[in-house]
Amino acid sequence: MPELKHGFKIDTAKCDGRMYCMRACPTHAIRVKNGKAHLISELCIDCGSCLGVCPSKAISATTITLAELDRFKFKVAVASPALYTQFGLNDTPAQVGRALLDLGFDAVWEYAADIELVDRAITDCVKKWPGPFPLISDSCPVVVRLIQVSYPSMVENIIPIEVPREIAGREVKRRYSQELGLTPEEIAAIYITPCQAKSISILQPAEESKSYLDGAVAISEIYNDILYRLRKDTKKPKGDTQEGLMDSGELFHWGNPEGEFPNLSREHYLPLTGLTDIIKVFNDIERGRLTNIEFLECHACRGGCNGGNLTVENLYAARSKDLNLKANMPKPPPEFEKEVARRYAGEDFSLRGSVKPRSLAKDVVDLRERVMRRKRAEEVLKGLPLLNCGLCGAPSCKDHADDVASARTEISDCVFLSKARIDLLRKIYKKGPRASKG
Amino acid sequence: MAAELLRENFEIQGRNFDKAGEISSEIKVILKDLGIDASCFRRVVIVAFEAEMNVVMYAERGTISLILTDRDISLEVKDEGPGIPDIDLAMKEGYSTASDEMREMGFGFGMGLPNMKKNSDEFCIESEVGKGTSVFARILLDSHA
Repeated sequence: MPELKHGFKIDTAKCDGRMYCMRACPTHAIRVKNGKAHLISELCIDCGSCLGVCPSKAISATTITLAELDRFKFKVAVASPALYTQFGLNDTPAQVGRALLDLGFDAVWEYAADIELVDRAITDCVKKWPGPFPLISDSCPVVVRLIQVSYPSMVENIIPIEVPREIAGREVKRRYSQELGLTPEEIAAIYITPCQAKSISILQPAEESKSYLDGAVAISEIYNDILYRLRKDTKKPKGDTQEGLMDSGELFHWGNPEGEFPNLSREHYLPLTGLTDIIKVFNDIERGRLTNIEFLECHACRGGCNGGNLTVENLYAARSKDLNLKANMPKPPPEFEKEVARRYAGEDFSLRGSVKPRSLAKDVVDLRERVMRRKRAEEVLKGLPLLNCGLCGAPSCKDHADDVASARTEISDCVFLSKARIDLLRKIYKKGPRASKG
Repeated sequence: MAAELLRENFEIQGRNFDKAGEISSEIKVILKDLGIDASCFRRVVIVAFEAEMNVVMYAERGTISLILTDRDISLEVKDEGPGIPDIDLAMKEGYSTASDEMREMGFGFGMGLPNMKKNSDEFCIESEVGKGTSVFARILLDSHA
């Protein structure tokens, strides 16, 4: 397996080893040794829980900046519907689209069509699916990675349908290379993303194929630039429709907790948001329950993509804007319907490649050794205080016991077992009497 | 017979619906810890959950043992319950003696025993009315299936 990439990086120079990230990580993928946080790469699911909690601002998302796009001849923005919920109630999607053009994009993609297409593909897939149920949406990269790492027996439940942003990327390349006589490599399909996880799903898709998109720019990265242009843009919201532009973002129903698949019956379709709730439901699925549910739409961020950690607006304000946009959503014009029907007949929406369980370090040894390790870990755990204080550098006593059992660390890292550890911690974390940094 | 690598015993308290599912969750954690392959894992967890629910629904108390060898995983379930008068009937899909209360909680659709059998490579059940029931289920590890 190629080296795993992640949607953020820890700047070791900035890291003060304060363990906020370690305690926030839902898959226990972070250890803090010698005062510095580091990642157990194969356990990280790119949820970004660590991003917001670092008091030293040492963790940053690896999205790209607009300046990096200059190598492309034609740049197309594929904007997450979450983008349009970030601004004032009177700022229309068309105005936001104009601001994107002003920022340097050559076109803003009519993403609604791709969303509609994938909606249809999912509905068809669910109807024909022989099992196992429930099918789980693959739209949120964190959910897919959570399954790979923590629910390996459920990879077959991931719906084998491409996500709308990939379908959009493919069509962007196809259409503009045809219209402009450019090669697909000269055209940039750039996702405007509410989270770092989608940027990693572009760099390294879980299904081990190659993304049609060329990168992701964070909503937070361009928020100020767009807001500035919106406030400058005094044009009447209606009237000067650039070709097609009014549509982008005005028709959408993806990526919100109530995200509706009108063709799936209510009782067999479950929308879920927030990792805590998702984990509860996944535990139930794992023991064979919930098979009467056909489709689970899961988004790791509470409140769905509008609550992504690279968004700016408060989730509840964003949701209110979202509802407002939906309420005023124009009826799709006949051309839209025709275009969707034409593309649906001609395109393949099945997922290229398949999602496999991620192989974890412990899998490389044989079953006997794994049993030995488990027994060793149980013995070690008996000698630990079960306080989960984290001072050993692992998030819980159980993690410390596991680390000791697989020889990744010394049992004496526990402060209850070794005075030397306390002395070492004093040295590492010593700031002087009442000293502060600033 | 393959050598036993690990044996874990669990007590199940009957009629305690609050705690129902806890044992199979513990079993799940152990199997995950051991990195048991996906399909075997799924089947063991389903069998364990159904077995636990049967004990919780019908018996005063019971035990589940999880036995791992390098070829397979077995579950031994014993309970002190009412026993099953007609095992052939009990093994039919849809046959259920669950009370309305149990059904209201989403259990007792008569799929428990058939589901356990379906997910096992070897399955046997013995029961004595008034004494209790014991079930043995063996699931081969994926590399031996």
